[in-house]
Amino acid sequence: MFDFLTAENEESALEQLHDLGCTDGLPVIIPTVERVTKSILATGLDGDMVLGVLGPLMGVATVEKVAAAAVMAGCKPDYMPLLVAAVKAVAQPEFDLSELQATTHCTAPLIIVNGAARNTCGPVASGYGALGPGHRANASIGRALRLCLINIGGGRPGISDMALHGHPGKFTYCLAEAEEESPFPPMHTSLGFDESDSVVTVLGCEAPHSCLYSDNADDPEDAEKLLHILSVGLTNIATNNAIFASGMALVCLGPKHANVLARSGHTRESIQKRLWELTHLSKADHIRFGGEFGKHFIDDPDGEYPAFKAQEHILVMVAGGVGLYSMVMPNWGGAGHQNSAVSMKVEADFFCEIPGLGGA
Amino acid sequence: MVTLITEDFWDQGSFVATSLGMPDIPRVRLPHPIAGLGEEKIGLIAEEVIEDILDSFENV
Repeated sequence: MFDFLTAENEESALEQLHDLGCTDGLPVIIPTVERVTKSILATGLDGDMVLGVLGPLMGVATVEKVAAAAVMAGCKPDYMPLLVAAVKAVAQPEFDLSELQATTHCTAPLIIVNGAARNTCGPVASGYGALGPGHRANASIGRALRLCLINIGGGRPGISDMALHGHPGKFTYCLAEAEEESPFPPMHTSLGFDESDSVVTVLGCEAPHSCLYSDNADDPEDAEKLLHILSVGLTNIATNNAIFASGMALVCLGPKHANVLARSGHTRESIQKRLWELTHLSKADHIRFGGEFGKHFIDDPDGEYPAFKAQEHILVMVAGGVGLYSMVMPNWGGAGHQNSAVSMKVEADFFCEIPGLGGA
Repeated sequence: MVTLITEDFWDQGSFVATSLGMPDIPRVRLPHPIAGLGEEKIGLIAEEVIEDILDSFENV
């Protein structure tokens, strides 16, 4: 159970939470017992149930603590199954959470939602501006995970979170795949899940980088040119993936670009393979620009090296509005498990609908 | 064991040491940043802290 804080009113409670460093700097909903209890009830799980241990503080993430973060972030109780899955995912060793929180690199957990839970536990936006403002589920679920990382995982800027600059996705970073607009099967089916499953995938990554490509259906090289553009955005010698030759990254195709690739016969797997090939980089550049890291190829300086160890390390999803842009999100790759993406099935079997709840 | 921690990361080192149950792990403070200083300056820093490092081993 919590050590309960007391305050005369919500205004002073908010100031107290700010003073204690329990917020992300923005106002939060006060996590009263009544509000937190409703969010716990919505999960159908025991409040004391442990979802994982979050570093670097090695705090124990119980359903109750996560529910408090959800309330603070402005989540509806309906969103809890997604948040629970996201917390379980970042607590897996492969995610390297302690190192991700502590690194000087700018990296934050991006939450990607697939399956029916996009709507039943949302709606989580996947179209125009999905990573921007105006979508309550996206905004509050990502924010709730951040508050868990602050208050359970102990990620405090300049003390235990040493990101030199941070990035805006450290406030919130969450979207769904636009499965209905995608010409490919949903991303989670490529990750070994059934299409009927709902899945949360988390990837620690940089802020999204825009890739502009003006497609032309009459150009026989259309798809190849698009893949080249994406590969340049994805991996150049300035990125961690290029310098560390490790880690994972996400390519978030706009629906228009996804269709350019699909009509040329590409599948998700063939896109990953071609992007992996195109992200082979010059060893000479690595030696020249890699600084201390550039010594890796010093005894074998000719030719190229792969920025990613395997094609599966380049995740491909579809989201966003219809137009000329896709996004790429490189990652850090410096920790023991190379900051792998982790996918977690959304367990909504025990979810309880709380009548009359419009929110926190 | 002794850990070498640069000035800006001193608080983080203490935070992690405590959270991992090793609050008394020997630590030696280095200037920040340490990367990219070049061999000569690194050598000077090493000369400045070598006694602290050796003392840390003796105090374990």
